[in-house]
Amino acid sequence: MSDRRLYVDYLARMEGDGAMDIVIGENGEIKKAAWEVWEPPRFFEAFLIGRKVEEAPELVQRICGICPHAHHISSLRAMERAMGVKVSEQTRLLRELMHYSDWIMSHALHIYCLAAPDFVGYESVVAMAGNPDLLPIVGKALGAKRLGNDMIVAICGHEIQNRTSVLGGYTAVPSKATLQALKDRLKASKEFGYETAKLAAQLANAEPYKSLERKAEYVSLYDPKRYPINEGKLYSNDGFEAPDEEYPIWILEKHVPNCNCKHATLKGKGNLVVGPLMRVNNNFGTLSADARKIAAEVGFSVPCFKPFMSIVARALELVHAIDSAIELIDVLGEPKLEPIKYEYKAGESYAVTEAARGICCHGGRVDKNGVIQKYDLIAPTARNIASLEDDFRAFVPKLVNLPDDDLKLKCEMMIRNYDPCQSCATHSIKVNLHREK
Amino acid sequence: MTDRAEKPRLAVFKFTSCSGCQLPFLNMETEILDLAESIEVAYFAMAGASQPGPYDLAFVEGGISCQEDARRIRKVREESRILVAIGNCAVYGGPQALRNFLPLEELKRAVYPQPELIHCFPTCQGIADYVSVDGFLNGCPVDHGHLQDYIVSVMLGKAPEVSTRSVCLECKMKENVCLIVAEGVACMGVLTGSGCGALCPSFDRGCYGCFGPSADPNLKSFANLCRELGLTEEEIHRKFRYIVNNAEAFREEAERHVPQPVES
Repeated sequence: MSDRRLYVDYLARMEGDGAMDIVIGENGEIKKAAWEVWEPPRFFEAFLIGRKVEEAPELVQRICGICPHAHHISSLRAMERAMGVKVSEQTRLLRELMHYSDWIMSHALHIYCLAAPDFVGYESVVAMAGNPDLLPIVGKALGAKRLGNDMIVAICGHEIQNRTSVLGGYTAVPSKATLQALKDRLKASKEFGYETAKLAAQLANAEPYKSLERKAEYVSLYDPKRYPINEGKLYSNDGFEAPDEEYPIWILEKHVPNCNCKHATLKGKGNLVVGPLMRVNNNFGTLSADARKIAAEVGFSVPCFKPFMSIVARALELVHAIDSAIELIDVLGEPKLEPIKYEYKAGESYAVTEAARGICCHGGRVDKNGVIQKYDLIAPTARNIASLEDDFRAFVPKLVNLPDDDLKLKCEMMIRNYDPCQSCATHSIKVNLHREK
Repeated sequence: MTDRAEKPRLAVFKFTSCSGCQLPFLNMETEILDLAESIEVAYFAMAGASQPGPYDLAFVEGGISCQEDARRIRKVREESRILVAIGNCAVYGGPQALRNFLPLEELKRAVYPQPELIHCFPTCQGIADYVSVDGFLNGCPVDHGHLQDYIVSVMLGKAPEVSTRSVCLECKMKENVCLIVAEGVACMGVLTGSGCGALCPSFDRGCYGCFGPSADPNLKSFANLCRELGLTEEEIHRKFRYIVNNAEAFREEAERHVPQPVES
C-alpha cells in the first residue's frame, strides 16, 4: 500500500478494543507482529466541520479524558494562528503551567500505577500498596498525582475538562495566594521526584530490559532555549526539522486493514516514534538543572535508544515539570484578568503540542465568519503503532525462549513503554501468541 | 477488615468514549486505598482489574456505536445487579453523537481513505437504548463526588440522591452575579441539570449544558430569551446541538431552530 495523506480520526486510543497478534514461526522467525486497534470510530474531524471556531477547542478536549489539555491547547493555537490572533505573555505562561500540571499528574500515574506493577510483579497499584515496603512510595505517588490535579483545578476550574481557557485567553485566573500554596507543595515534592528517578533507573536497569535497544526516528518538538511543551519546531534525532504548522506535509498516514487507527510515517523517512524518551533525547540540554543532575546520578545519558528506559525519561520529566511549574509560578506573580479580544478572519493553520505521551497535532481552515471548513488531528498513539510493531520484530526473537506468559507480559510492557494512553496501556490489551510447532 | 467474600464487587466498563469518566475513580487518590478495604474492585481495565462477573455494582462509561459495543453491554447487564450509566456518553451518546446527524457513509469517507474497512452503527446512543439501566449520573465528565456518594449509598443500602434541579439554583446558592441579567450572556444554566456546582458561570462563562436538561426545562422561554439577546436561529440551534446533543429535549429543540447556510 502506498502512503497517502489522510485525515486522521482520533480513534487511536483503543482502550479495551486493541489486540496484539504475534505469530512466531517454527524456526523462531516472526511471521506476524501487529497491534490492532478496534476502538470504534468517533468521527470528530467530520462533525467539527461547520462548527464555530471557539467550539473546536471545547469539543476536542473531549477526545481524550487522559490528555485533554494537549488536544485543547493544540486546537487553540492552531485556530488562533489561522485567524492571526495573538495571545498575551500571561496566557502563554498559564497554558504552559496548565500543561505541566497535566504532565505531573500523568507521569506520576503512568510510572506508579501503570508501569511499575509490571516491573515488580503486581497486578495493580492497589496490590502493590499491599506490600508494606512499597506502601510509602505509593502513598507519595498518589500525593503527587493529587498535586497535579489540584494545580489543574486551580488553573482550569475542573480536574478533567478545562472550563476557564478559551480562544484568546482565560475567563478566570488563579490568585497569587492559590499559586503560592501550590508552589509550597511543589517544593515539598522535589524529594519524591528524585526518589522516583532512582527507582525508575533501578527497575529499567535490570535484564532483559537494559539490553533491548533499537535505533529509530525519534520525533518531538524542539526549542534550543526552552524545553518544549506547547511550542517548538518538529525535530528528529536523524536530522529532520520543520515548523510545527507544517506537520500535515511531513506526517503521513495510511489506513491498514484490521486497525481503526491509521498508522503514521515521516515523509521520506519511515516509521517514527514519539513520547518522553524521544523528547528527552532531543532536548536534554533544556531539562531543568536538577533533572540533568539526577540523570547523571542514576547513570542515564543521551542518546538512548532503549524503549524500556522510557520510565526513566518520564521520571526525569516529572522532576523537570515540578521545577518548571515552580519557576512559572514565580514569573506569573499575581495574574490579572485580561480582556479577551479577537476578530474572525479567514485562514488555515496547524499547531503541535507535546502531550505527556508525545506530539499532538491539530489544525484546519476557518472562513471569514469563524466557521470551520476543514479540521485535522493526529493523536500521539497513532504515530507509535508502526514503530511498536518494529519493537516486537526486534525484541521478540531475543526473548523467544521465555515461557508464553512471561513473553506476553514483556510484549505488553513494550506497548506500555509508549504510554499509549493509560487506558489502552493497561491490562485491557488482549494478547494472542501463537507458536507454530 | 471485612471478609473478602462479603465485599461488594464493583466493576467499571468503557464503551465508545474518551475515558474521562473513568478518571474520577483514579482521581480519588486520598480515598482509593480505603475504598479498596471495603469493596472489591473486580473489573476495571484501566486500573488493571479484570475478574469475571457477577458484579454487585457496575458503572458504565461510553455510548453504544457498533455491534461489539451492543454485544458487550448486554453481557454486562446480565452480569450486574445494579447498572449505572455515568457521564454524557453512557447517558445520551456523548459529544460524538454529533455524528448521528450526518450520514454514516459521508462520515466514513471524510475520515478514512478506505471507508469499506470501517464497521460501525450509523449512530452513537446512550446505553438505555439497548439495556435497562438502574441509575444515571450526568456530566461531561461525571462528577467525582457523585460517584462516591453513589457507591456509599449502595453500600449503606439507601437510595442514592440524584438532583433534578437546575444549575441556576446552584448559581444562586453560590451568590454568583447572574450572567444573563448582568452581561446578557445566553447562559444555559436555567435549563441544565445541576451537579457541577455552577462551574462555568463561576468562571464568568455561560453554561453550555454539559449535565444535560434539568427536569421539565422551559425550552421555549429560553429560546425566546436567546432571540431577545440577539442570537440568530442558527446560533440557538448550535447551543442545543453541542456537548450534550442527543438528550431528547435538547435534540428536539435544536430541530425547531433550523440553521441557515452560512456564506463563506
